[in-house]
Amino acid sequence: MDKQHEHIVRSYEEELALLNNKIAKMGGLAEQVLGQSFEALERRDPELAAATIREDEAIDELQKEIEEQAVVMIARRQPMAFDLRQIMAALRISSDLERIGDLGKNIAKRAVAVVSEQQPKQLMLGLKHMGELALGQLKEVLDAFIERDADRALKVWYKDEEIDAMYNSLFRELLTYMMEDPRNIGLCTHLLFGAKNIERIGDHATNIAETVYYLVHGTAITDQRPKGDTTSSTPVALKRSAG
Amino acid sequence: MSLAIHTEMKEAPETPAESVPFEEKVAVRRLNFYYGAYRALADINVTLGKNKVTAFIGPSGCGKSTLLRILNRIYDLYPNQRAEGEVMLDGENILSPKQDLNLLRAKVGMVFQKPTPFPMTIYDNIAFGVRLYDQQPKSELDGRVEDALKRAALWDEVKDKLNASGLSLSGGQQQRLCIARTIAIKPEVILLDEPCSALDPISTAKIEELIDVLKQDYTIAIVTHNMQQAARTSDFTAFMYLGELVEVDETTKIFTNPKEQRTQDYITGRFG
Repeated sequence: MDKQHEHIVRSYEEELALLNNKIAKMGGLAEQVLGQSFEALERRDPELAAATIREDEAIDELQKEIEEQAVVMIARRQPMAFDLRQIMAALRISSDLERIGDLGKNIAKRAVAVVSEQQPKQLMLGLKHMGELALGQLKEVLDAFIERDADRALKVWYKDEEIDAMYNSLFRELLTYMMEDPRNIGLCTHLLFGAKNIERIGDHATNIAETVYYLVHGTAITDQRPKGDTTSSTPVALKRSAG
Repeated sequence: MSLAIHTEMKEAPETPAESVPFEEKVAVRRLNFYYGAYRALADINVTLGKNKVTAFIGPSGCGKSTLLRILNRIYDLYPNQRAEGEVMLDGENILSPKQDLNLLRAKVGMVFQKPTPFPMTIYDNIAFGVRLYDQQPKSELDGRVEDALKRAALWDEVKDKLNASGLSLSGGQQQRLCIARTIAIKPEVILLDEPCSALDPISTAKIEELIDVLKQDYTIAIVTHNMQQAARTSDFTAFMYLGELVEVDETTKIFTNPKEQRTQDYITGRFG
């Protein structure tokens, strides 16, 4: 079912297009917040961080708008089939994007917190790569949404494993730094939370991928995604003996 | 690695969602119907599940009412109309010339778009049909009338005026009276042809509630132009177009993820 004819009722068609545009706009803002928060962290730029934190408000505002519009459309249009799935998808994606915005805001806040700290280059590089990967995933899944391309969404879904793997290695690295010198603990904790935030962003991108797949096919992805984040079960003692 | 899983996944068949199990009550097989030379139905195959509600939707003139009219052979009343194929009711072909039509119509009751109470008392509206099929003492007949009116959720509204004319009731009440009249004969299948199209939303809700209750005892087929009504009331939905049955599936699937593009276009209002 790839081609969609136009609705007989033009205003219905326009409302669906508007909903779509709002998601696209929200996605663009989320990308911007993420990009800026990574930059603020890397450059240790408190002003950029503060601006980024403010920008998240626009994302929250859009989410409210989308939710209201979706509720009104369900009540007034009684959407069916693909239309219904479009509206459900808008609701779900907007809440994922809202969370992504919040996580970006959190990263920006940490950028302010670590401004005065000495930052080991290698760690920052790892975090930066992870951020770029997450941002790439978000861009890709938003394109998949706009294009209604389930295969593209599925690729994003599988690729989340890479972010999880990076998070695992960063987690170990940060532990090592902390054990080497307790003075690193403050900074490393901030960076660890930052990394966790990025990992969560990846998960939300995965959620959006699932929603896009559902939107297109009307069924959930049936495969089991390999779960990559193992840090919650990583014993600390193991690191000590290794170090 | 991810590529391997990717391809594997795409080829794997979709997990079938849990299907609604049902027992076959009416089976329509290779059915063609003609108004004179005009073929109104082409090769219809559909099964009505026992104690299930099957909704027929489709644009005007798609043949859904025609199909309903075949299920109790009302079309027989008109010249130049003929059906070919099979309609099996509990394994017997009702299209057979040997079929006793009175018996068939006692088993397969029908309610029409416009309420059609007889110009007689509420009591007699119900008793009339019962008397046709069963000879029984007055006390038993009273019980049948009361039972039918109760099942049609009309009893409380009319119990004190059973001798009033059926025509004095409101539209919604008249329609429930017609349903009560149908039930009184103890049919097995009930055919509803646009039963709510002339009713207000409250009366419609009452009829829909009734459909929910009645399906515990009967097999129901409903023709409706109101897609939301089909979505609300039925277990299965069949979409018909230009005399063909395009798609029939569980109602939940038809309205969330239909297989056919034509079904999708129709239910989302994109036809044309």
